[in-house]
Amino acid sequence: MTKTFRSSRTAILFIMPALLFIMFFVFLPIVLNLYNSLFRWNSFEAGRVFVGLEYYGRLFKDPIFFTALKNNSLYAVISLVFQVGLGLIIAAVLEDKLIRRFQPFFRTVFFIPSVISIAVVGLLWQLLYNPEVGLVNGVLKAIGQSEWALSWLGDSKTAIYAVVAVSQWQYTGYMTMLFLLAMQKIPFEYYEASMIDGASKIKTFIYITLPQMKEMILVGTVITVIGAFKVFDEVYVMTNGGPGHSTEVLGTMLYRAAFRNDEMGYASTIGTIIFVITLTLSLIQLKIGKSGQEA
Amino acid sequence: MRTKINVLFAVLLVFALVLTGCSSSSSTNEESGKVVLKFLHKWPQPEYAPYFEEVVKAFEKENPDIKIKMEAIADEPIKDKLRVILGGKEVPDIMFSWSGEFARKFVRANAALDLTPYLNEDTAWKNSFIPASLQPFTSNDKNYGIPLRFNGKFFVYNKKIFDKYQLQAPTTWDEFLQVLETLKKGGETPIILGNQSPWAAIHYLTGLNQKLVAQDVRMKDYNPKTGEFTDPGYVTAMHMLADLNKKGYFMKNVNSSSHDMGQQLFAAGKGAIFYVELEEFQTIENNMKGNWGFFPMPSIEDGKGSQSFITGAPDGFIVSSKTKHPKEAIKFLKFLTSQDNALKLVKQIGWPSPIDGATNPDTALKEVAEGVDYMKKAEGMAEWLDTDVHAKVADVYLSNIQLLLDGSKSPEEIIKEVQDVAKQVQSEVE
Amino acid sequence: MINNNPVVKTNKINEIGTGSSTMSLKIKNRIFQSAVLLWFAIFSLIIIYPIIWLGLSGLKSNADFFLNTWSLPEEWLWGNYQAAWDAGIGQFFLNSVFITVSSVVSVLLLGSMAAYGLSRFQFKGQNILLVIILSGLMLAPQVSLIPLYKLLQAIGLYNTYWALILPYVAFQLPFAIFLMRSYFLSIPKELEESAIIDGCNIWQVYWHIIVPMGKPIIASCALLTAMNVWNEFMFALVFVEDSALRTIPVGLMNLRSQLNTNFGIQLAGLAISALPMIIAYIIFQKQFVRGLSAGSVKG
Repeated sequence: MTKTFRSSRTAILFIMPALLFIMFFVFLPIVLNLYNSLFRWNSFEAGRVFVGLEYYGRLFKDPIFFTALKNNSLYAVISLVFQVGLGLIIAAVLEDKLIRRFQPFFRTVFFIPSVISIAVVGLLWQLLYNPEVGLVNGVLKAIGQSEWALSWLGDSKTAIYAVVAVSQWQYTGYMTMLFLLAMQKIPFEYYEASMIDGASKIKTFIYITLPQMKEMILVGTVITVIGAFKVFDEVYVMTNGGPGHSTEVLGTMLYRAAFRNDEMGYASTIGTIIFVITLTLSLIQLKIGKSGQEA
Repeated sequence: MRTKINVLFAVLLVFALVLTGCSSSSSTNEESGKVVLKFLHKWPQPEYAPYFEEVVKAFEKENPDIKIKMEAIADEPIKDKLRVILGGKEVPDIMFSWSGEFARKFVRANAALDLTPYLNEDTAWKNSFIPASLQPFTSNDKNYGIPLRFNGKFFVYNKKIFDKYQLQAPTTWDEFLQVLETLKKGGETPIILGNQSPWAAIHYLTGLNQKLVAQDVRMKDYNPKTGEFTDPGYVTAMHMLADLNKKGYFMKNVNSSSHDMGQQLFAAGKGAIFYVELEEFQTIENNMKGNWGFFPMPSIEDGKGSQSFITGAPDGFIVSSKTKHPKEAIKFLKFLTSQDNALKLVKQIGWPSPIDGATNPDTALKEVAEGVDYMKKAEGMAEWLDTDVHAKVADVYLSNIQLLLDGSKSPEEIIKEVQDVAKQVQSEVE
Repeated sequence: MINNNPVVKTNKINEIGTGSSTMSLKIKNRIFQSAVLLWFAIFSLIIIYPIIWLGLSGLKSNADFFLNTWSLPEEWLWGNYQAAWDAGIGQFFLNSVFITVSSVVSVLLLGSMAAYGLSRFQFKGQNILLVIILSGLMLAPQVSLIPLYKLLQAIGLYNTYWALILPYVAFQLPFAIFLMRSYFLSIPKELEESAIIDGCNIWQVYWHIIVPMGKPIIASCALLTAMNVWNEFMFALVFVEDSALRTIPVGLMNLRSQLNTNFGIQLAGLAISALPMIIAYIIFQKQFVRGLSAGSVKG
């Protein structure tokens, strides 16, 4: 073989640019963030004051932090149920031979919201949720359910659910698409046996389709859960954490601390915590996924 | 096919370099001998932006060696953006700022230029301002900001509706409550309030705080170094506001309607009273065409603060301490606040100008002129609560006021949070 | 397992009947089908109607929008769309396009190079590099927001197109490398070997063999990266300040506060921003699905 040490040098040369990018723009900031969280500073002041771990202490006593954590977790759970769970079911139904000829149409329609920019989706839904002129309450009133015509984004009890719902509207179709593609890769032979045995559709789905899709389901779950803890855009656009702090998530908390409350140190602390959470969750999910594969 | 991709890529690369070259050169400050000033204001709306564009053009014509690069960011986003921008290297030379604590924090951080010497050397300019409009921009007796507008907050009311119930503009809070009760009984929506952005209700609280708490106590509490917020007046203020809502005097769904939606509703006659700033009087007149009147926040009988204050504040511009062209920046500010341009401001947009005499019945709506008179005669101004206290204290008030109005938090709970944050702030501010 | 079928086919499965009563089966099927179609029709309505409502509302005047939210516009104010475009949507659009294209091209180039290096060679430390790159997948951009904000200022790139392009590339690379590497692993070694025997150097092997063979996965990556960059909001909000450089998401937010008195124009602006992507997706649907399909390979 002509591939000697020279080739490994070339290989590294090929990898270098991407690696440098990632190290500089993704990893370096994490370290800097940790460093920044030890000081009190803001964007327009020249000096910094060393405060050590004070911000971490404050964070863990901050009720808003726990509200945010609760909201992010809520996001994760609901997204798993809808985007992954419902997405799987919709994909399975779309694949069913009775429905299959309608698949291209529905698949396209369901996917469309995910190509629309979040700013549009957020602003659109803000209007849709408006208690006076919005479509949501309009429909509810039209079907005789006016007691349900609440102030969705303005009421601290319903706001977070209203925001989470919008994300489901946007991304369930995306997940459905991914799952569909994974399903279509499953070779027909796998189904033959169950057909001969006369297994029901549901049984087939559970025992044959799902296991073959494990990887895609894992990918979907990881994306969804990490996404739930990274969420910022939809909340910022629709409610900016309000009313009160009822829709606050870690992302908006970070942004507000940095750019409204002039506490970049505190924001950096939040950033570090987000990092720890997403890293832990990813590792856990990978572990689960790997052990599933080995089994 | 491959060569096509190569070519496409090369073209894009060149394109990119050229474009970046363009965008970064536009941010360098010297352009072949011309002085370039970066000017940031908060009025991109099509009703207001043209005024600034015209003034800038006129200035550039008079001063061919100065070029002004203007940017406009609207009210809500500028609260974030100012911080983002100030952290950068290309800080605007002249930028918008609210007065009070909002401006003072920049002063403390040495980000704002001391304008006292410039004002003192041109006494004509200094004296052209209504003194009450310069005062909120001072810190330690030094001037740091130049006001562009001098706003006061007033209740406007729909004359037809008032006449229908034979109501008069109330002067005391008890009269006010009676008026509201009459309206409610008659089936009208008494007060319109668009509190989606919580500053709207905060403006109510501004006046209530001022009227209920003694001035010296309040000023001590608003100062980040000494803030305690233990006076019971603060809690009473919140109770009074919450009561207005509990008694059904506010419209429904205040927290999901924006202030602008409120404007539309008031214009459509869907409510009797609306709390607005002087700058909005022109819009009200355009919508209501004479079918309206106004009154300041009514006095509160056992309030410990002065009952002759008006809620309001000037807002305007500060100059960056890092500016390389202070003289030119001042020149522009002088131009912006000259008699001519002040008159233009009043006539064209209908805003109340801080230049003494500019807002008079000949130049402005008679209501605006009356409003400015009220402010001149008042003992003092109660500045917006969310710009007069430390950002973190403001944040507590802002995020809780919506909960106060939907009943999910009590004034006692809120004031406790305020007190805790105030304590934190005390130890942090130098 | 290479997927040699990039095109999604609707398989015709022959039903192996068990010989049970065909009548009741048919009815059961019909009910199932109708129920599902009804359900999906409602879903589709929930998706399509708001979008149509958006477009129509963009044609209304302020008063019209407030008072008749449901009905068709009283007057079809096409001028609203023009006003929205003039208010800056055109510029935002161009900015978004430029930034997206630059980012995508860079990611494809650098990513495929790295994927090549990581999949076709054996060398020490290979796995560590792989792990480092892939762990980039798990990190939330928010964590880097403030440090990057200061970093970009320090290197003087703040408030330029590069302020967005460079971080986007960095954050999209891990996923792209992951996808491409999986795919490249399955390209037969013989092709490379014969090329080398013919005297090609490694760069030529990469450019003339791997890249063309990797077209499906490269297309996938292009699409996924483009979608992510086009919609990115947080960095675009903080790293770019001049209105001339803003991308669509941020531009729309500003438009909202700028035009807060005219809902018609605002909505027209939203419609203009959403429409191109929707139309592009519908037209390029087939390629899109093909690309995504190639991307979901087991590796």
